[in-house]
Amino acid sequence: MMRVASVGPPLLGGVLLLIGWGALAAVLRGGHLIAGPAEVAGWITANPGLLGRALGKTLTNATLGFLVGNLVAMALAGVAMIWPRLLNLISGLALVVFCLPLIATGPILRVLMGPGDGPQIVLAALAVYYTTLIPLLTGLRATPAVWLDLVHSYGRGRWSELIHVRARTALPYLFAGLQIAAPAAFLGAMVGEFTGAEQGMGVLTIRFMRALDVPALWAIAVAAAAVSMVVYGAIGAVARMVLHDRPPVILSPPRGKPASGLSRLSQPALLIAAVLVLWWAGMALPGMNPFFAKSPQDVLAALTTAPQAAATRDTLWTALTETAVFLLPGYVAGLMLGAGLAIALVLVPNLSTLVMPIAVALRSVPIVTTAPLIVLFLGRGALGTISLVAAMVFFPTLVACLHGMRQAPGQILDVFHIYAAGRLRQMVHIRVPAMLPAFFAAARMSVPAAILAVTVVEWLTTGRGLGSLMALSASVSDYNMLWAAVAVVTTISALCYAGVAVIERRILSVYAPEQVRP
Amino acid sequence: MSCPILTRRGMLTAAAGAAMLPFARQAAHAATPVSLQLSWLHSVQFAGSYLAQKNGWWQDAGLDVSLLQGGPNAPVEPPVVSGSALVGISAADYTAAAVAQGAKFKIIGVAMQKNPFAIASLSGNPVTTPADLVGRKIGMALANTPVLQALCILNDVDFDAIEIVPTQYSAQPLVSGEVDCLLCWETDLPVAMAINGIEARTMLMADHGYAVHSQTYIATEDSLRDRRAELVALMSGELRGWQAYQTDTDAAAELTVKMFPDAGLDLATQKLQAERQVPLMFSDLTAQRGFGWFSDDSVQANIKTLALLGREVTPDLWDRSILEEVHG
Repeated sequence: MMRVASVGPPLLGGVLLLIGWGALAAVLRGGHLIAGPAEVAGWITANPGLLGRALGKTLTNATLGFLVGNLVAMALAGVAMIWPRLLNLISGLALVVFCLPLIATGPILRVLMGPGDGPQIVLAALAVYYTTLIPLLTGLRATPAVWLDLVHSYGRGRWSELIHVRARTALPYLFAGLQIAAPAAFLGAMVGEFTGAEQGMGVLTIRFMRALDVPALWAIAVAAAAVSMVVYGAIGAVARMVLHDRPPVILSPPRGKPASGLSRLSQPALLIAAVLVLWWAGMALPGMNPFFAKSPQDVLAALTTAPQAAATRDTLWTALTETAVFLLPGYVAGLMLGAGLAIALVLVPNLSTLVMPIAVALRSVPIVTTAPLIVLFLGRGALGTISLVAAMVFFPTLVACLHGMRQAPGQILDVFHIYAAGRLRQMVHIRVPAMLPAFFAAARMSVPAAILAVTVVEWLTTGRGLGSLMALSASVSDYNMLWAAVAVVTTISALCYAGVAVIERRILSVYAPEQVRP
Repeated sequence: MSCPILTRRGMLTAAAGAAMLPFARQAAHAATPVSLQLSWLHSVQFAGSYLAQKNGWWQDAGLDVSLLQGGPNAPVEPPVVSGSALVGISAADYTAAAVAQGAKFKIIGVAMQKNPFAIASLSGNPVTTPADLVGRKIGMALANTPVLQALCILNDVDFDAIEIVPTQYSAQPLVSGEVDCLLCWETDLPVAMAINGIEARTMLMADHGYAVHSQTYIATEDSLRDRRAELVALMSGELRGWQAYQTDTDAAAELTVKMFPDAGLDLATQKLQAERQVPLMFSDLTAQRGFGWFSDDSVQANIKTLALLGREVTPDLWDRSILEEVHG
């Protein structure tokens, strides 16, 4: 009986998904929008070699990118724990690098690395490291104060803290990061192929989209989604095997006063200086021709002293306002959807067999495949754009919140069980507060993700705003405008990130003081 | 100086090429590695280059050519400026824009005499003249707005009476009825529709005054000064390749599909595309002067159209000296 019960829901979920997919395809038959399960299966059986080779190529690049990106994230998090003074600099630089749009980095990577798989691997790594780093930093701080006191009472330092205590409490958060990374790495490798790769799933996607070969296009999408689901599930299974301790109660005293005004100012200044130095250093790499690689002074000149500086500023400002209209609603909708779904899945666990595959699929299928469907249902107006942004943002929040809610301390749950408190009451009093650190980690990492998402959507569907401006600038070699737009996108991301961090500090200083550094 | 990977790749290509060639050729001489940056994914669009490579015509000329594939996020100009590609496949409007941004490019040959931009529509609701655009919905990338504006000015059509719908580059919005027509290339989306059994009508913009050289070969002024022999060798291979292409487009399509088994190419599509690009690439002028040639008249017409696109250029943008050496 037990076995039937545990196999039943996933099977049911899969069957429901197939039926829904088939029904949708049947309704839209003739529109060249979506292929049904039978057509997709037919294409896959007719072209196993082509699909297999492309999948092998992209999967290899995605795996390498996944490993590199996550190892870098772990190393950065470790460094930030051992030298806490570097924390803000590291997370700031990580944010800036994550904000660099593909349209600017892709061609440069191709010139620097030449033909081959280099750019695809780097872009896959860039797509994952940030969403691992941020939850990991949160997890490394989710430590009971008494455990740290014990380490200190033995006269040990930060290194022992990290190895013996923090690494262990961070594990659930690391798994959240890895699960978020699984589909992102695959998508990153696919989109990386747009920079001139010879083979892979991304190349085939472009090809089939133009050839109006809908069964082939959806076969690629299904394969991408299936691979991501398997990896997502496998990481989840490993997490369940490894994490058998019940989450501890984190009792942490409120920390001291906030930092003085001077040190608050010095940290952003340090970050800006570091960004500029790295930017200049990057320009000195061999192959970086000033025609397409613009230095900070080029961008500054284009915005201030150049003859068309005023026109450039106007263009940027117009694009920025067009983008901002969609950004905030899309971001908030994505966060709410992610957190709301996570709560729903914990209250009604059977839902997850239906919801998680769709969620993973939405994150792993390139938007070029799904955009026509979303445009059909929601139009090219505000609703369609906001929904696309929300769809690209909600996944990290969903996964982070699911893992966060599992951090509800076991002993406190026991108390609730003793009093026969229901799921809803547990949710309100234990799980949601336990989820808050993970939720805010998601809220912070979703800031640049939302901005990148909105620029991609603008580029592909609405043709307005910063995303469209960047694509247009690259196509007419206006690299000053492109880099000015990159600088604007990055600055806005950093400011919004700082804004979210302020709200986070206020709330977590009450609910999770261990997360708030003095 | 640049990219050791490139050289390695060059050697790989040489090895692959050598495998296809008679023994005599491979040992003949150490060929100079150069790269040709294509403007898009591999397809019959570049079949002349594949023919040159497969038949060893570049090898004969002492070159070992790597064909670098393009893509949606692979602009042609950066690799050519940085020197990782000797020649790039661009178009006069993009080249003019890059030159305005300080790149020292010259157009050294023109593969598509006629610009491939077309307005595609369905037979039930056809757009056959620019005047038909009035009151219609057109699906296109907003980045191409200047192209449509230029067409309107050239044909005295009210641009504001056309409704632009920003779409992805796909025939789907036209097929599903979201738009009345598409701004696309004569040789891709209409071909895709034909293969799917949808016969589309196309109106070639080049037939209505839109004169912009396309699939142009560009090189930097530095290369024209210092690497002339390589440029001549590269272009002479291209020339032989495209001549062979013209005599048998079906064979060119078959070779393309065979050379790139992982590119997801469909033979029927490639054959039809190969056929449809012939009138764009070959004309009385090329019959007389050879593939890639461009006349002073066509340069003047280009300068006029480019001005409508907001690009002020002079005849200096074009340089016929390489073609003259090839033919001479």
